[in-house]
Amino acid sequence: MSMMAIAEQTEAETVTERKPGGKALWLLAPGVLWMVLFLVLPMLMMVYVSFWTQTTFKIEPTLTLKSWVTFFTSDTYLGALWTTVRIWLIVLVSTVLVGYPAALYVGLFVKNKALQTVLLVLCVIPFWTSFLIRVLAWRPMLGKEGAINMILMNLGITDAPIEVLLFSELSVIIGMTQIYCVFMVGPIAFMLGRIDHSVIEAAQDLGAGFWRIFRTIILPLSMPGVVVGAIFVSVMVLGEFATSAALSGRKVNLLGNIIVTQVGSLKWAFAAVAGVVLTILMGAVIAALLRVVDLRKEL
Amino acid sequence: MSTVLQLKNVTKAFGEMRALDGIDLALPGDAYISLLGPSGSGKTTLLRVIAGFEDPDGGSIVFDGKRIDTVAPHQRGIGFVFQNFALFPHLSVAQNIAFGLENREVDAVTDRRVVERRVKDIIALVGLSGLEGRAVTQISGGQRQRVALARTLVTEPRMVLLDEPLGALDANLRARMRTELRAIRERCGVTFLHVTGSETEALAMGDTVLVLDRGRIAQSADSDTIYNRPASPAVARFLNCYNLFPGRLEVGAFVGSAGRFSLGSRPASRATQPAYAIRYDRVAVRPREAAIGDDEVRVEGNFVASEYSGAAVNSFFTLDDGRVFEVETHLSHAAPETYEDQGRYALVWKREDALVYA
Repeated sequence: MSMMAIAEQTEAETVTERKPGGKALWLLAPGVLWMVLFLVLPMLMMVYVSFWTQTTFKIEPTLTLKSWVTFFTSDTYLGALWTTVRIWLIVLVSTVLVGYPAALYVGLFVKNKALQTVLLVLCVIPFWTSFLIRVLAWRPMLGKEGAINMILMNLGITDAPIEVLLFSELSVIIGMTQIYCVFMVGPIAFMLGRIDHSVIEAAQDLGAGFWRIFRTIILPLSMPGVVVGAIFVSVMVLGEFATSAALSGRKVNLLGNIIVTQVGSLKWAFAAVAGVVLTILMGAVIAALLRVVDLRKEL
Repeated sequence: MSTVLQLKNVTKAFGEMRALDGIDLALPGDAYISLLGPSGSGKTTLLRVIAGFEDPDGGSIVFDGKRIDTVAPHQRGIGFVFQNFALFPHLSVAQNIAFGLENREVDAVTDRRVVERRVKDIIALVGLSGLEGRAVTQISGGQRQRVALARTLVTEPRMVLLDEPLGALDANLRARMRTELRAIRERCGVTFLHVTGSETEALAMGDTVLVLDRGRIAQSADSDTIYNRPASPAVARFLNCYNLFPGRLEVGAFVGSAGRFSLGSRPASRATQPAYAIRYDRVAVRPREAAIGDDEVRVEGNFVASEYSGAAVNSFFTLDDGRVFEVETHLSHAAPETYEDQGRYALVWKREDALVYA
């Protein structure tokens, strides 16, 4: 009897001890509420709508798999899915190829902290103009009579204008790489800036040359930055529609473009299917990227 | 003993500041050399110039018979142990130690078994057995120090530079690592150049002690000579065991603001600034009215405070010119005396014990 009383007492004590934790949880309430209302519910709604019945002008809440079957049997939609994945992979690789050396320079070779900040801010300057202007500015640059073709022809390097430069997949890739590169440079430069310089000197002192040090020390230590940058770029490229619309002359259709046109023609169910597919794709990409590096350990 | 490293007139300036102002030195092989200097004396710069992380503005560095001042750091074959250890944070203890063997440009070891054997041997040598697989973030400061040392020693450099290697350790560990470092060096038979700002560490560890003052080698000698016959007032000041008086030399006496000290038979050492130095532990504290002997010098001071450190007690007095005067009394033969607060005492020493610079 007394044993039970003690047990109960201990239980009561543990409960009182936990109370501050319970109170602290309320700090999460506004965020959780916001996310549930405006993120989780709409997403569930999107999944739900993707099973509704779509007719030409109407959508009815009768559950059917028709939209899903149409999506996965249509060459247009599957083609868009494939284009999305392809362009995402190419842009990811090109942002790393363009961004990593720049980040290496800023993060490792610029010793002056102030200059480092100035250079990183320079990377962000294009963002002071609007997205649309940045995208459209590529047209007079890449067009048949654009700056690049004019220069190449005037220098006598080419005889005829290179037409593939604009309104092609290439122009989309060029545009996206330019726009999203800074999201790769930032995180990598940050991680490189955190490497203690004496660690690199120690590797030098132990007899390793620059490329060896890069491969064995600098690259592994900057991987978390590459992963964070890759997540930024992936999420933005996978959801893209404006760049491809403006620079490909509607020849390149990404999942984002499909969603825009479907919503435009009030085909909510198809749009929802494409939306769910895109969300799953992004989730898978992020999960895969997070497997590469244990970010909790690094940050 | 053969000379392993020779520096001739090495200079290095950062802007207006002359960090190294014509360094000349020759270090013997198979010896423990400590380099003592206050912060800002250029000791880390000197080490970094030898290792190749900084280029000297002038002068020559000859290592092992070859001029190396234009050779890249990774081709010099000089080991460097960093103050903060600079371990590779993403590698384990064994991987850190194997790094140099596997990745060096010259003569890399490609046979995994050879690497493993040599890593195992050096781990045993520095006393890290059992920690091979640990991440370097999961071991203690003393263990990290050993990893840093092992990582350098495994590549078999002819010389190891240590930049305040004990600075990041707590006092207890520091004392233990001192003996450990000396023992490890003896087993390897290479030259260690140990940079420190601590005079006790420099005296305790070095077979030869170099004292650096404002970018120049002020003295190079064994510990006993450095301690008993500092070459200049600056060296005496770094040793932290001399009361120093500025002033001028007159016939038979040294005259300063604290008074007139009659001189013994010892000749004055050459120095740019005249100074008079008396070691803390050569001074006796006596009542004011006590008479002094013919060979003694006396000055009066007011007792301020004392500091008890177990084997000795250090008492502080202010002299009439405001200068603080320190007296160290060893307690092996005497009980600590208590002095009256602000009481006036006579501070007495033998003429012959003083060092005079002029």
